[in-house]
Amino acid sequence: MTQESAGRSGLKEWIFTTDHKKIAVMYLITSLVVFTLGLLLAIVMKAGQWSPGNSLVGPKLYNVLFTIHGAGMILWWMIPVFTGFFANLLVPLMIGARDVAFPRLNALSFWFFVGATVMAVLALVTPGRLDIGWTGYPPYSIKTDANTSLYVFAVHLLGASALASAVNFLTTIITMRAPGMTWGRLNLAVWGIFGAFIIQLFGIPVIAGAVTLLLFDKYLGTNFYNATMGGSPILYQHLFWFYAHPAVYVIALPAFGIVSEIVSTFSRKKIFGYTSMVIALMAIAFLGFDVWIHHLFTKGVEDWARIVQSLLTLLIAVPTGIKVFNWLATMHKGSIDFKAPMLYAVGFITLFVIGGVTGIGNGLLAIDIDVHDTLWVVAHFHTVLSMSMTMVAFAGIFFWFPKFTGRMYNERLAKITFWIILIGSLLAFVPYFKLGLEGMPRRYWSYPPEFTSTYRVTVIGGFILIAGFFMTLINIVRSAFAGERATANPWNAKSLEWTIPSPPPSYNFETIPVITAGPYEYGSPEEGKKALPEEAEAF
Amino acid sequence: MQEKVAYHGLEHHEVELSAWPFVVGMSGLLVMIGFMTAFQWKLPMLGMLLSGVGVVGILIGLFGWVSEVYAKKFEEGLSKLAIVIFICSEAALFGGLFGGYLYNMFPAPQWPPANTPAGVPPLGVALVLTVFLLSSSATIQMAETKLEKGEMGGFKGWLLFTMTLGALFLAGQANEWSKLIGEGFTVSTNAYGTFFYTVTGVHGSHVLVGVILQFFILLLALRNKISSRRQTIVKACGYYWHFVDGIWLVVLSLIYVLPNFR
Repeated sequence: MTQESAGRSGLKEWIFTTDHKKIAVMYLITSLVVFTLGLLLAIVMKAGQWSPGNSLVGPKLYNVLFTIHGAGMILWWMIPVFTGFFANLLVPLMIGARDVAFPRLNALSFWFFVGATVMAVLALVTPGRLDIGWTGYPPYSIKTDANTSLYVFAVHLLGASALASAVNFLTTIITMRAPGMTWGRLNLAVWGIFGAFIIQLFGIPVIAGAVTLLLFDKYLGTNFYNATMGGSPILYQHLFWFYAHPAVYVIALPAFGIVSEIVSTFSRKKIFGYTSMVIALMAIAFLGFDVWIHHLFTKGVEDWARIVQSLLTLLIAVPTGIKVFNWLATMHKGSIDFKAPMLYAVGFITLFVIGGVTGIGNGLLAIDIDVHDTLWVVAHFHTVLSMSMTMVAFAGIFFWFPKFTGRMYNERLAKITFWIILIGSLLAFVPYFKLGLEGMPRRYWSYPPEFTSTYRVTVIGGFILIAGFFMTLINIVRSAFAGERATANPWNAKSLEWTIPSPPPSYNFETIPVITAGPYEYGSPEEGKKALPEEAEAF
Repeated sequence: MQEKVAYHGLEHHEVELSAWPFVVGMSGLLVMIGFMTAFQWKLPMLGMLLSGVGVVGILIGLFGWVSEVYAKKFEEGLSKLAIVIFICSEAALFGGLFGGYLYNMFPAPQWPPANTPAGVPPLGVALVLTVFLLSSSATIQMAETKLEKGEMGGFKGWLLFTMTLGALFLAGQANEWSKLIGEGFTVSTNAYGTFFYTVTGVHGSHVLVGVILQFFILLLALRNKISSRRQTIVKACGYYWHFVDGIWLVVLSLIYVLPNFR
């Protein structure tokens, strides 16, 4: 596939590789496979909801579908595409290193991830199909006949994978930066990945412990979550959300960094407020651990805890808002070039603001109690997290596509799919806000007849959206093999990874570079001449 | 700061292929599938067989892995930082367990709950165990000092002493467990029993890992793979051991001492 290793790209070179770039590509392929599976499950869920009294799937199968869809999309697509694919691809290239600190451990992380994927597939195809939701709340997950142990062991393998990655990448970023690559010159994408791995480091052990206790309760007769013997099922929800809430920032922080790279490059402007961006990233990583109770507002938690965590939840809007304003300020008076990655990045900002504003509503105690466990919540996280972060993933995949494949993607197809995905997302999920406010609970296979027309809008939107996703997948796969050859720096970007050939040689850098400037030094006198034609100066 | 910057093979960089991560990863999967077979499908023999093959696979994989690492003539010493980062996540694991324990303890009208056969396990045994563990922190420090001075004999001796103290701790704990189970106090008795065995068990498994690691270092030392210039693994083991010893004091306070004051 790559020029350099064309002669020796046998299966062995991939399975036994310790090269971070090959591992990155393998993460991407695995994630995209599960992403496709999740889409297929979503098609089945959507198709059956054309009319009330779901004719396609019954309630039991529906539970299995949303369980695997949710777990697959969060744990196999969104988290690994950022902390697996982008972290592996970008961190060594952006800090000027030849590989990560522990290349073999990095390969082990990937193989644990593959192991977890096997577990997930088993959960779908073996008897006792998993129907406990991606959250796996007891007591249902303990009392059900479904194979809860698969859920637990998949989380264990994912956790082992993520912990090894966290140790590896934190060590890499701290010790292996090239000379002159100070903390103040790090790419914001690297800062985002750094923050994400800090969250993984402290969060993963807690959820791994929580699900282990689930296993003990179900199979060994312990009483952690057994209320009749002094335990508490709510304890599981606390432990689960202590990781699972920060987990959204494991996805979002690298995504924020990637958007910053793209916005700066295609606006031909230095990123606005670099320091405030870094502080905001780290503030979100820290605050993310103090808001999990907003998932338990209706679960009988004491008032003081609910009020404190409601306020902390709202506080997260501050660093997040800073980031949105910084992106807008970066674009302001920039020489914006709407190549596909930029289009996706702006689409992300749009969806993220829609989802984010509704998040303020969720965070307010009074509103949350009303909309808790309704489709409002589904609408909220599908806009603020699922769709907007998938937009960033596609933006990043297209942006670095020339770098990691050595070929260009199809620009025209990518732009068309952007609009399809944007329109599909809005049609598929905005009506859920209305349904949620009208009291329609989430995770229901059927619905009352008066909601039929609204549901039909979401079904149509869902199919548009899924068509867009499949077009993107086709674009990625086709271009990887048959795209035009890419130059080393097709975007005229200033960051370190664009100074080396596309695709990079296995050793990345001929000599370790000495860094003398930051990654966003757009707008030097020569730069301005190149980017801005004479007419544009009139503005 | 500059001298702390590390590079892979500054002069040259060979593309490394290694089969061992794949072997360990897939063996890990096999272990998990074995557990699943035993727990969910109620086929304990088949499950044990699968898990057993998996464990053997992991051991072979790790052995091959370590041989590859020690075949190189130098080390970069990055593992010292890595183990500190890893210990942070271990702290989070214990934090989660302690949090869960306190979450159940504070609202309870009586702790341990009334049906606990012999009440809180006696403090005396726990204090003896504490002495074993805390003194082993000092002995592993002695071992490191000897290694830095290049006194390999002293190093091996103190390391062996540390392992013995760790093993004594584990034996003492196993003895206490069997006595308590004999009195009818089990994981299923109530939430206190559940947490008692889980917290001390998780901690004990960490001690066990530490002792195995020390045994492994002793083997490396006997084969002259450890020296004052190649001691990252010893330092890493030392940090880990101090952490395991330190966290025991929290286990002691929460499980053995605190219930007496309620």
